[in-house]
Amino acid sequence: MASNAAVPFWRAAGMTYISYSNICANIVRNCLKEPHKAEALTREKVHFSLSKWADGKPQKPVLRSDTPEV
Amino acid sequence: MAMAVFRREGRRLLPSIAARPIAAIRSPLSSDQEEGLLGVRSISTQVVRNRMKSVKNIQKITKAMKMVAASKLRAVQGRAENSRGLWQPFTALLGDNPSIDVKKSVVVTLSSDKGLCGGINSTVVKVSRALYKLNAGPEKEVQFVIVGEKAKAIMFRDSKNDIVLSVTELNKNPLNYAQVSVLADDILKNVEFDALRIVYNKFHSVVAFLPTVSTVLSPEIIEKESEIGGKLGELDSYEIEGGETKGEILQNLAEFQFSCVMFNAVLENACSEMGARMSAMDSSSRNAGEMLDRLTLTYNRTRQASITTELIEIISGASALEAAK
Repeated sequence: MASNAAVPFWRAAGMTYISYSNICANIVRNCLKEPHKAEALTREKVHFSLSKWADGKPQKPVLRSDTPEV
Repeated sequence: MAMAVFRREGRRLLPSIAARPIAAIRSPLSSDQEEGLLGVRSISTQVVRNRMKSVKNIQKITKAMKMVAASKLRAVQGRAENSRGLWQPFTALLGDNPSIDVKKSVVVTLSSDKGLCGGINSTVVKVSRALYKLNAGPEKEVQFVIVGEKAKAIMFRDSKNDIVLSVTELNKNPLNYAQVSVLADDILKNVEFDALRIVYNKFHSVVAFLPTVSTVLSPEIIEKESEIGGKLGELDSYEIEGGETKGEILQNLAEFQFSCVMFNAVLENACSEMGARMSAMDSSSRNAGEMLDRLTLTYNRTRQASITTELIEIISGASALEAAK
């Protein structure tokens, strides 16, 4: 059941639906007026540390964060 | 005044008095801290007093931790219960197939970063290992994605070859959907899967948290299952608007379902962690109180025994003086 229609532009660019909807939500949040904008932006903060494992050993962790630690 | 004189003379005569009669008098009165040397009386009450001070401090600390956990629980509980509405439409549409037989399963284990939260992390790891045993076999493989320090430490011991990703420091900022969706995106990009099984502690009440497994299938498996029939077979009866095909919509839906289920799972796990920490700290402060009671009794016994032996020494010293006259 291969689809004949063209894939949407964002899927062709390699984004998943999740990242697409995140970018859209980001745009909507930036359209708000103060003071709602400030509290909406606090809901966007991302921070976690991810490390891939290979052969039972963790590689160097990658910190994905809006506030990179110095 | 007179007693002070007797006490001084008693002390001066102390070395001349034989050790054995005093020990013989002391032993029925003494507690087990006092056996042994002379002159140890004051040291043992000091020891007990130090223990009492440290146990009291521990009790205060655990009580404070319990209050902190209770307040954090109140904050997260509302959000967790509201987020349950996110995945319910997905289950209504696509059904729940925990027993599906797939080639590649990925088990996402959610746990906490901090300790002192009772047994929730070990139950989650036990369920993950059980899932591994259920799903492993010829041509089938199971991989682990671990969220949280505690599960990482436990799983490292015997399943380290099956771990694909590990994530920590997720709870540093308050949990929000953006964070969890970025995490879900990373998992989707790095891991190939046919079925994702998310293991977390579902929050039923402050004292009840049950380890739960949520299954999210990949879009290809959904297509295959829909051909077989059952709940997924009814997908064809839905009309699709817009220019997309069923396969594309299924892919979008599967990704979004994963993100929503992860968000709910992370919130529920955080709630369970706070609840478990509350009950652990509560029982710990209760134990500290009991220990304090026992220590107080020992301290009083020791103190009274030492006073009694001092009195005996003084009196025997005084009577020895009288007899010598």
